[in-house]
Amino acid sequence: MSKPKGILSPKLVKDRGSLHPINYMKDSIMDLLVSFGFEIIDGPEIESEEFNFDMLNIRKSHPARQMHDTFYVERKSNLLRTHTSPVQIRGMLEKKPPLAFISGGKVFRKDDDATHLPMFHQVEGIYVDENVSFSQLKDLIYKIIYSLFGEDVELRFRPSYFPFTEPSAEVDILSKEGKWLEILGCGLVNPVVLENCNIDYKIYSGLAFGLGIERIAMLKHGVTDIREFYKSNLDFLSQFK
Amino acid sequence: MKIAYNHLVQYMPGNPTIEEISDSLFQLGHEHEIEDNIFDMEFTPNRGDCLSINGLLRDLAVFYSIDLNQEIYNEKLNELNIDFKNQSEKICPKISFLKLEIDKVPELYKNSLEGYFTDLSLSKNNFFSDVSNYLSYETGQPTHCYDADSINGELIFHEIDKQEEFETLLGKKITLKDKNAVFSLNNKVINLAGIMGGKSTACTAHTKTVLVECAYFKPEVIIGKCIKYDIKSEAAHKFERGVDQHSQDKVLRRFIQVVSDHANIKEMSIVTYNYKENQDIKIPINVNKINEIIGININENDYLNYLTKLGFAIEENFVVVPSFRSDIKTQNDLAEEVARVIGYDNILIEEINIPKNVNLNYKDIENKLRFFLLDNGFYEVINSPFVGIASKEAIKVDNPLDSNKAFLRTNLTDSLVENLLFNERRQKDSVKLFEISDIYSSKNGIHKKRVLSIVASGRVGLNYQDFSKKIDKKYLTAMFQEILPNEVFDFQIISRETLDTKIKSEIIALEVDIEKFTDDILNYKESSKPPDKFVQFNPISDLPSSIKDISYSIKNFNKIPELEKLLLSYKSDIVKNIFIFDYFHNKKTQETKIGFRIIFQSIDTTLTAEEIELVYNDLINKSLKIEGIAIPGIH
Repeated sequence: MSKPKGILSPKLVKDRGSLHPINYMKDSIMDLLVSFGFEIIDGPEIESEEFNFDMLNIRKSHPARQMHDTFYVERKSNLLRTHTSPVQIRGMLEKKPPLAFISGGKVFRKDDDATHLPMFHQVEGIYVDENVSFSQLKDLIYKIIYSLFGEDVELRFRPSYFPFTEPSAEVDILSKEGKWLEILGCGLVNPVVLENCNIDYKIYSGLAFGLGIERIAMLKHGVTDIREFYKSNLDFLSQFK
Repeated sequence: MKIAYNHLVQYMPGNPTIEEISDSLFQLGHEHEIEDNIFDMEFTPNRGDCLSINGLLRDLAVFYSIDLNQEIYNEKLNELNIDFKNQSEKICPKISFLKLEIDKVPELYKNSLEGYFTDLSLSKNNFFSDVSNYLSYETGQPTHCYDADSINGELIFHEIDKQEEFETLLGKKITLKDKNAVFSLNNKVINLAGIMGGKSTACTAHTKTVLVECAYFKPEVIIGKCIKYDIKSEAAHKFERGVDQHSQDKVLRRFIQVVSDHANIKEMSIVTYNYKENQDIKIPINVNKINEIIGININENDYLNYLTKLGFAIEENFVVVPSFRSDIKTQNDLAEEVARVIGYDNILIEEINIPKNVNLNYKDIENKLRFFLLDNGFYEVINSPFVGIASKEAIKVDNPLDSNKAFLRTNLTDSLVENLLFNERRQKDSVKLFEISDIYSSKNGIHKKRVLSIVASGRVGLNYQDFSKKIDKKYLTAMFQEILPNEVFDFQIISRETLDTKIKSEIIALEVDIEKFTDDILNYKESSKPPDKFVQFNPISDLPSSIKDISYSIKNFNKIPELEKLLLSYKSDIVKNIFIFDYFHNKKTQETKIGFRIIFQSIDTTLTAEEIELVYNDLINKSLKIEGIAIPGIH
């Protein structure tokens, strides 16, 4: 091609790629949490039962520990982490409070259908300090949800159950169609978990929360089938620019 | 679990409406849906105590007055002489048996028993099993009914660890494997304890003498068995979540009452084996701690009042946890009780101030690489780590979803090549992909590394500069060299010979440890930005696309912008993309040639030649109206 000079050559449109929408959503949430004061920490996807379950007060009899819910590897010596919570345990064992960690990444559960995948993504956070209360947790959750969905969104807190938090809550937002949608789980760190991490629960208390990235990405982008994210289809990926 | 509104409200003198109860249940943390006056409850796994009418009423008692006017047989009963041995007391610390004979099997049911079957549209089975099922619904305590005439020997409860055939009372034949808690009679398993009884000793429509077993089994003995043997069992669901250790005698007395409402009891006797007395859990009264945990300020009277309504006892300076609340052990547990009663949404917000951290340089190298690749037209993908075939060092999944997912991948490139072929089958002639992920391998322990992989093939880009250039090693090397002149990258050509494809263009791949990149990449100034808003996804067409090109000859080059604007902003439901693939200016003749490529695809139909032609002609006609523009071959 000869390069014409002094004439109006057509605009050279170079196709740019795009970040994967799940990674983009994960990064956006992590950036938001970093702006609140959280520090990012990482942990392995292959974990021990001790870190994935025992340290988090998930008893041997808990259904999640069965072979039908958790992927075990290398003759049951380890497992694929079922949540990002073990990273918080590693963080708490390494650092003394006050501490505020977030961790994001892949987690694995033995599920495979239109709404569940064997691999999905979570972002979790923990904040341990003196006098951390449920009413402060509510403030943080409101800030997170308002940043993600705007300040007009209506939300509600529901009592729930997680072995590693007590009290525990699930948070729903009201969709445009008037349906309550579960968005995140949270609670005050169970003192048993603090004790497991050598943190004196008589002095310190903590809050923790976790979000499923796919669910939020589906809501934000209007994607109805979770499997679309992992087909690596350029017609799909090129929409997220 | 389905619970009928009228079964609850009959014990609630204030007659609250279904909506009022629904709101209260949500506040207490009991998710549900309502259909035809029936609550379809979804309880959290720690609240096994709520899996019954009485259990749910115990929780609702904090908001409503409850009058549990269920009659219970209170007369003295003869002691049952039964040949029973408990060889595994630790997993069954409490068990009671009731033997009862009636004169005639009732044909019609009355009162609550009938209401249970009709209101919940349940099928009846046989009288004693029906009473047992109803009482499990009413009290939360499962019981098992044996036809007493079939129990003709020593009944043994034990945990066995051997293979044995067993037929459930529903006729399902299973092979028991590994450890199972069972009841055996004459060396044969007759009941898979806490899950389902056996056919050989089950009650029938003719059973007049029943042996009712009512026990507490440790949850860990029951968990996972229903899935293992593919059995649906309401009893197991309750035992897994923990039943009240103190309710057995009361439930059997209620059993007698319900039976006596329907038939004359000729004979009955009862026996209870209590191997270990359950100690009450006591927690010091500390309202300040509760206020601190929640961030509220309630007084001690209100605090204790809430707990009393929920069934807790107050003893000197302690809160005594009722036997049905095996989930309560700490001050935090009590705080949750108070928070539920107040309502999570009614707890005021207190501003949180987390001290700012300083460590903000997280994954900078990785992020720079991602944006560098974006600038060069690469798309980020995420693939599943599960693969069917892998190298010797691959980590094996003990319980994979299927054999094609039995290992964890030890490289990313293979997945990206799959992604490339997938997109080529979707008629993509320029595919540039990358993925960054941890990969794991096993060789004397588990090793983790973080890896970038890129795979690319076909045209360099869909623009007039790159359209006729093919992606090759040289192109990718130059791309990296430009920003990282001091680093060497080992690009590989992936052979298409073993791949399921007819396309010939070279596949170039690179897989490199993130650690290998130096800080030089941090100097790169990216032009791509993350999206400024969350775009709404448009459905994708899986139908074939068609390509049409138009080549223009332009004498008056001042008209190029007008032509460009017309084509590049042309809107049609069946035009997926238009781009300039060719551009040439002949200095001698002062003639400019521009080629546009139009890609047609519909979201819902396979396009006909006529449909495409219609739009194509419209484009041509409109563009030829621009002065000084011609399409060679078309006049």
